[in-house]
Amino acid sequence: MSILANRDTRAVIIGGVAGLNAAKRMAQFDFLINRPLTVQAFVYPPEEGQQKEIYRGGELNNVTVYSSLNKAVEENPEINTALIYIGASRAYQSAKEALDSKGIKLVTMITEGVPEKDAKRLRKYALEKGKIFNGPSSIGIMSAGECRLGVIGGEYKNLKLCNLYRPGSFGVITKSGGLSNEAMWLCAQNGDGITSAVAIGGDSYPGTDFVTYLNMFENDPDTKAVVIVGEVGGTLEEEAAEWLDKEIRRIKVIASIGGTCQDVLPQGMKFGHAGAKEGKKGLGSARSKINALRAAGAVVPETFGGLSKAIKQVYQELLKSGVIKPEAELDEKLLPTLPPSVQEVMKQGEVIVEPLIRTTISDDRGEEPRYVGYAASELCDKGYGIEDVIALLWNKKLPTREESEIIKRIIMISADHGPAVSGAFGSIIAACAGIDLPQAVSAGMTMIGPRFGGAVTNAGKYFKYGVKEYPNDIPGFLNWMKQNVGPVPGIGHRVKSLKNPDKRVKYLVEYVKGKTTLHTPCLDYALEVEKITTSKKDNLILNVDGTIGCILVDLDFPEYSLNGFFVLARTIGMIGHWIDQNNQNARLIRLYDYLINYAVKEEREVPEKR
Amino acid sequence: MAKILEGPAMKLFNKWGIPVPNYVVIMDPDRLAQLGEANKWLRESKLVVKAHEAIGGRFKLGLVKLGLNLDGAVQAAKEMIGREIGTSVVRQVIVAEMLDHDEEYYLSIAGNRDGTELLLSNKGGVDIEDNWDTVKHLFIPLDETPSIERITEAALDAGFIGEVAERVAKIASRLILCFDNEDAQSIEINPLVIRKSDMRFAALDAVMNVDWDARFRHADWDFKPVSEIGRPFTEAEQQIMDIDARIKGSVKLVEVPGGNIALLTAGGGASVFYSDAVVARGGSIANYAEYSGDPPDWAVEALTVTICRLPNIKHIIVGGAIANFTDVKATFNGIINGFRESKSKGYLENVKIWVRRGGPNENLGLAAMKKLQEEGFDIHVYDRSMPMTDIVDLALNS
Repeated sequence: MSILANRDTRAVIIGGVAGLNAAKRMAQFDFLINRPLTVQAFVYPPEEGQQKEIYRGGELNNVTVYSSLNKAVEENPEINTALIYIGASRAYQSAKEALDSKGIKLVTMITEGVPEKDAKRLRKYALEKGKIFNGPSSIGIMSAGECRLGVIGGEYKNLKLCNLYRPGSFGVITKSGGLSNEAMWLCAQNGDGITSAVAIGGDSYPGTDFVTYLNMFENDPDTKAVVIVGEVGGTLEEEAAEWLDKEIRRIKVIASIGGTCQDVLPQGMKFGHAGAKEGKKGLGSARSKINALRAAGAVVPETFGGLSKAIKQVYQELLKSGVIKPEAELDEKLLPTLPPSVQEVMKQGEVIVEPLIRTTISDDRGEEPRYVGYAASELCDKGYGIEDVIALLWNKKLPTREESEIIKRIIMISADHGPAVSGAFGSIIAACAGIDLPQAVSAGMTMIGPRFGGAVTNAGKYFKYGVKEYPNDIPGFLNWMKQNVGPVPGIGHRVKSLKNPDKRVKYLVEYVKGKTTLHTPCLDYALEVEKITTSKKDNLILNVDGTIGCILVDLDFPEYSLNGFFVLARTIGMIGHWIDQNNQNARLIRLYDYLINYAVKEEREVPEKR
Repeated sequence: MAKILEGPAMKLFNKWGIPVPNYVVIMDPDRLAQLGEANKWLRESKLVVKAHEAIGGRFKLGLVKLGLNLDGAVQAAKEMIGREIGTSVVRQVIVAEMLDHDEEYYLSIAGNRDGTELLLSNKGGVDIEDNWDTVKHLFIPLDETPSIERITEAALDAGFIGEVAERVAKIASRLILCFDNEDAQSIEINPLVIRKSDMRFAALDAVMNVDWDARFRHADWDFKPVSEIGRPFTEAEQQIMDIDARIKGSVKLVEVPGGNIALLTAGGGASVFYSDAVVARGGSIANYAEYSGDPPDWAVEALTVTICRLPNIKHIIVGGAIANFTDVKATFNGIINGFRESKSKGYLENVKIWVRRGGPNENLGLAAMKKLQEEGFDIHVYDRSMPMTDIVDLALNS
């Protein structure tokens, strides 16, 4: 037997993420004792219609979130308990609705920081309705082997350690949530465990008091003794003492009252729960509560640590007198173990999971990213630059200083080429249309292809092919290209020519060949090709794409990575154009009619549809 | 519970039609002289100047000056503002009109579980404690409003006569309104007086507590509650409060000067029991501390560092019950980092550390704490099988 919550309890949780976490913990308990899921529904308007995934052991349940309590109970008529997790400003209304709901007999409020007046009103309302309002600030209610409401009892392992899978003989009533768990543990360690444990919350005016629950425990034949953990403030403990004193009670009462230290503290210095405040003239002091309880026959040790001994003593007496029959302890190994997550099993090496993707360049699992093993901050500290990070992530190698300088120059030279080219223009049009930065830059990016900037890869690829297959036979290479590819990528320019050379190409070639010791077979080959092609036509020069492609091949970058340099470099320019347009608050662009040749049909009538 | 100062309380009285004397709250004495030019009452009335701070026993400390003219009041304000009292400094004074009166009455209201209790006495003033048997009680059930006749009856019962009883009842009815609508927990008017010159009532002093949890429904609460620990907060306490306001869960600290056993305890319930255990075993606490509700590790670390710096401590009690959902490993990480930092700065010398805790990830947390022994900490670590407060006994017997 138990009080308040049992195997027939079905709950609705009112509130958001805290309530969801509680539901998960509650389902663990459901799994431990093999009972149906306690939580039947959530009420939380912002997430109306969502399904929450709740595991009861390995079994996945979907629990619906409703926008109102009425809808939740309409669809789940077996609900008889409500747990309030919603914020303090809405807690009162939610609890009142729950008390109004016909099938709901118990409302327990976990929410903290609820105004006193709201709690007082809810208490009164519940009394009028003949229902129980527990809390606010209650960690929950636990009935061993029957039902768990809230996160009371903590993690799964603790549920077993506290013997919560089967009923014992002790009831527990506490104000504090942490101490409810402690008290359950003490009852398991020094006795045979609990029937039910209730946290009433540490507020000034809890909805339900010690006496209400003492009466319930007195009427529960399985409960033989009750552990009360109270504290300074209010008169609930005194009332409990009065109750105990009034007539002969079946149950034994063990109590511990916090706050005796406040007698010796500087005047006015108070701390602890909201309700832990002594009244005028020592009313509600811990000492007066202890005295009252002792006078009424309760066992009250001097410190909380003394509870262990007190519980043990009462348990031994009850065993001796035959009130409690000793039961054989269950072998804990028979209890179900919580199915571990894939991660946990993998850690123990008991399962193989085929990875979905593989990476060889970057690792984010430590305190900071590592690029091919090197910590990013260490690279910074040792004077490496962005060009080295590019080389690491694109080619898994740290370049030499000379190589880095070349990479840096390639990017600097390619960063932008004015607003007129397809990429920049695309970004500018998007910026003018009010498109945000990432999308506007992507608009420019989509222009990169065979006619704009996308020739680097192919240039590198085919010149490399030439070096390998036609090392001393440029005409043979050109012939092969003509037959198999078409125009040689990287050769030719719309405006530049031998007489009007591309300064960028000139600079790069002179720099690489004149100022570095880089071995440049591919670039040399391309320059030989240029000699032949320009002899045929003046503008068939080695263009900037071709130059970059060859140098990058000579730097040993994989050929399919080469367009990346143009993409990366030009991103800098496109972002610049987007910022520039926004700085100027540029207007929407529309083409003028006179820039369009409307080569269209004359106006004509639409024929009838046949 | 949130005590508010006289100024904000007077403002709320005004709002609900409870008569108060003219008053101003100032931080700058020169401002008072300027206000004097604008307000006739400041020039023509006798004035009282009081330090507007949460300092007990202001009269004895010379922080209340009576019967002054405007110049005297400016002078008194100059003397009070900036004065250091213990760890706190007077920053504001309240200057109010002194009202010439004969009788002093007492009127108060306070909440209880079932409603509120209105208290009336026609023997108010400083001796009210001695005249407590003259105080009449009127219980008002929750959400009920007593009729003016019912209150008048109570006033007559308390010894008020004729028209005075009716007028006291009227003020009391407004006090009830103020109490209900401002989420007050208690309001005490002592004394309530009748000004001789025009026979009008005024509340000369107000002590008011409001429910700070209800502030979400009071847009016009422009005040902050004052310290409830009988003195203004110290800098360290203020720092921890600032952290507390920013995090999920909570961290709390109250310093208790003179003690040598520091508490670094978890949970609102358990922390008090640890303080109790120290006192019960004849020790003296250097502080009260609490972390709860699974606070982030950096907040617990900050609390730890603060506690390690408390002067003259011999023991630190890292105690707690078996947590429901506070992660022991994560919060202990914060504590361990705090200990390491403090040790590296020369704190924790000859300080013994006593640990007892349970809850989520308890094994990992306790093992990490135990490893501090290898780093030269004098630390003693116990798991759930050690009765909760018995580490205090071990500490005091060591």
